[in-house]
Amino acid sequence: MKSSIKQVLLRELMRIRRHPRYVIILTLGIVFTFTFFATMTRNGQPQKLPIAVVDMDGSYLSRRICHEIQATSGVSVQAVYNNHNEARRAMQRGEIYAFYEIPKGTYNDLLQFRSPHFVLYVNSAYMLAGTLSYKQLATMGMLATGAVQREVYRKKGFNEQQIMGLIQPVEYDTRTIGNPWINYGNYLMTTLIPAVIAFIAVMHTAYLISRERQEKTLRKWIHTARGNTLYALLGKLLPYTLWYTLLLLLTNLIMFGFMGFPLEGSWLLMVLNSVLLIVAAQCAGSFIACSIPDAPLAMSISALYSAVSFSLSGFSFPVDSMPAIFYTVSWIYPIRHYFLNFSNIAIFGNGMGHCWPQFCALLAFGFLLIGGAFMLRWHYRLEERKAAQTAPTPNNVKN
Amino acid sequence: MSHKTPKIVSNLKDIWTVFAIEVRRVFSDSTVLLIFFIAPILYPLLFCGIYHNENVEDMSIAVVDESPSAYSKRFIHKLDATPELSINYRCHNLAEAQTLMKDHKVRSVFYFPKDFPSRLAEMRTGRIVVFSDMSSFYYYKAALTGGNSVLIDEMHTIELQRYEQSGLDNEQANIQMQPVVMENTTLFNPTGGYGSFFLPILLVLVLHQTIFLGICILTGDARENRKALIFIPRHLRRRSVHRVTLGRAICYLLIYVPLTILDLWFVPRWFNLPQLGNLYTILIFALPFLLATIFFGMTVANLVVRQKISPMLCFIFFSLVLFMLTGMVWPQQSMPTFWRLFSYLFPSTPGVQGFVKIASMGAPLSEVRHEYLTLWIQAATYFSLATLITLVRNLLRQRRNIILHRIRTRLEQRGANINAIEPLLERKVGKA
Repeated sequence: MKSSIKQVLLRELMRIRRHPRYVIILTLGIVFTFTFFATMTRNGQPQKLPIAVVDMDGSYLSRRICHEIQATSGVSVQAVYNNHNEARRAMQRGEIYAFYEIPKGTYNDLLQFRSPHFVLYVNSAYMLAGTLSYKQLATMGMLATGAVQREVYRKKGFNEQQIMGLIQPVEYDTRTIGNPWINYGNYLMTTLIPAVIAFIAVMHTAYLISRERQEKTLRKWIHTARGNTLYALLGKLLPYTLWYTLLLLLTNLIMFGFMGFPLEGSWLLMVLNSVLLIVAAQCAGSFIACSIPDAPLAMSISALYSAVSFSLSGFSFPVDSMPAIFYTVSWIYPIRHYFLNFSNIAIFGNGMGHCWPQFCALLAFGFLLIGGAFMLRWHYRLEERKAAQTAPTPNNVKN
Repeated sequence: MSHKTPKIVSNLKDIWTVFAIEVRRVFSDSTVLLIFFIAPILYPLLFCGIYHNENVEDMSIAVVDESPSAYSKRFIHKLDATPELSINYRCHNLAEAQTLMKDHKVRSVFYFPKDFPSRLAEMRTGRIVVFSDMSSFYYYKAALTGGNSVLIDEMHTIELQRYEQSGLDNEQANIQMQPVVMENTTLFNPTGGYGSFFLPILLVLVLHQTIFLGICILTGDARENRKALIFIPRHLRRRSVHRVTLGRAICYLLIYVPLTILDLWFVPRWFNLPQLGNLYTILIFALPFLLATIFFGMTVANLVVRQKISPMLCFIFFSLVLFMLTGMVWPQQSMPTFWRLFSYLFPSTPGVQGFVKIASMGAPLSEVRHEYLTLWIQAATYFSLATLITLVRNLLRQRRNIILHRIRTRLEQRGANINAIEPLLERKVGKA
């Protein structure tokens, strides 16, 4: 048993040495994706979002409001327009994400104790930019209103504490568990990067098996494992398991170590989670590739299967808010279980007591490997029979 | 006679020849059919299903009320009444609620500390602590949206009471409370739903990626099976390679026009996605997008693809990067300059930007001029590149064949066994 796995392993290492192209390309792909997301989201949140002010009042007050908006870090006033249509068009062109409209007569209204109306328009077709500029501008508006109120109360002789009580009788103190700075890099990368590596693990596994079929070396491969397809699969996939696990652990180390993303629970569980993710992804890939004899078709089916994994991991939009069927479907994706465990370990610091169902689910992907081995054996036997039927020529013997 | 036929006619004839060959190739390859026809139909429907519910509704939360009072009771009732939140647990202490959160039974905890009623009674600011699960931003968003609507409502009620207590009449109080009235208007995606935001982007990306991948697979197939360097008909070998590029492109374009109408026009209607543009605008905009994508695909494929099945391995995970580069998630203005410039290499960036502006924001063509021009420029650039690469490869191949032929004849003269040397020759001189 040991020796046949070892033989296949040696054969695979030789194959990698002869054609290292795809291992290199995919490793570079992972490094690129990681660097891309890390540099893109290095500020945690988008800064200096362009917004505009429609100043129909043209008074001292409206100009001061522009200045104050300019002073907030999240947004910057890109332009000051004179009418609504210009601003709306700029919004349609995507130049600004929000605009404040200060109507005519605002300053007068304020002086005469009539409440002037400010209108804040937000473009929510851009999810993050819209939400953030809304949040910034709404806070700004609250503060401005508060400042006016505070001035009045001070003159009426209230003390600071009373004034706060009048302006803001109730407030929220928000504790965001697992991401205290509301850092988008933390949120995106901790799940996306493992998802990309798992995706590549599935596709690469499918590719390796399909390639043996395409090159017509399937029988040779299984001969090396003395006819045992399970050993053949194990030996073939082992180098990649180690390589991708190493990459995943390395990226996790960078994210939770150097980049300082919070990891509440134990390192050990996170390592186990990462190892099982790669193994489960490879099992899924090998099942697809072993069951479908046509190489290009096997690849496209694995692609169709994997492309949905990012959505069904549930980190962007929660799976429990999707239609019920997708809740069930999401279980066939290793990354879903990885994500659930990531949330258990990194966010809530839960131990094995909470993680074991997902670990079991990931281990259950091992049955797919066994299923794949059976399918492979069937195909292998068919090919053997076909080879036996044709007269043994020197070429055949060599195979 | 043939040299007297007008150039344009011979041009068209050649394009037609290439087109006919390409159509036959597309329809005889099951993998390409799957990528070209099944994926652009299946994915939009699948994802529209996945994101059918736009927002998180009735998210399970717990409340901890350490000293029940009229204030907190009213607050809790209102929280339960919001569409976003649903109070499934009432706990006696924080530890109990935190355990529920660790077990994922609740996604958010609203904690009313012991001093909450007393602070309110003393006319100070009452504080409520909100714990939120950050494993998905949508949990946080639901807690925030639901919680804020209650907070604003409660603040008004309490403020009004306090003003009355401090001796202001109702009208004065109202003015005091809101010296400036803030109105919020959310344009283009009023519910802030994830589907309305994500699906228009996805629709364009699906078209982009399937065209790109399909072309890569076809090219890989041609190279792997040595179908005469991306099958240039014999009489076209020397010059006019642009006819090959054009003939192939027309084939893909004709396949993708109906698919574009389906994905960018019918799918948004069926699934109630934002669709403010009209069919005419969308089609006019889609033309350079499709061309740019096709030529981009041909450029990359001619340059690097060697196998039929490797494009699926190497290119699909890149969709994530493309998605991020569109600038719909992370605003373009906040991207590092390098990545912003990098994003203009791909037709998906202006394609998505333009389509979202047309479909979700109702922009006319004049407002997407920038994207429209970018797409035409990309189309022209990638057309030239694709043609150039084909030309260069073709010339290299001819030279290689000439060299091979010379070596063979020389060896034959010396009486060597050609069959035995053939594999060696191939390895030395390289594959086509």
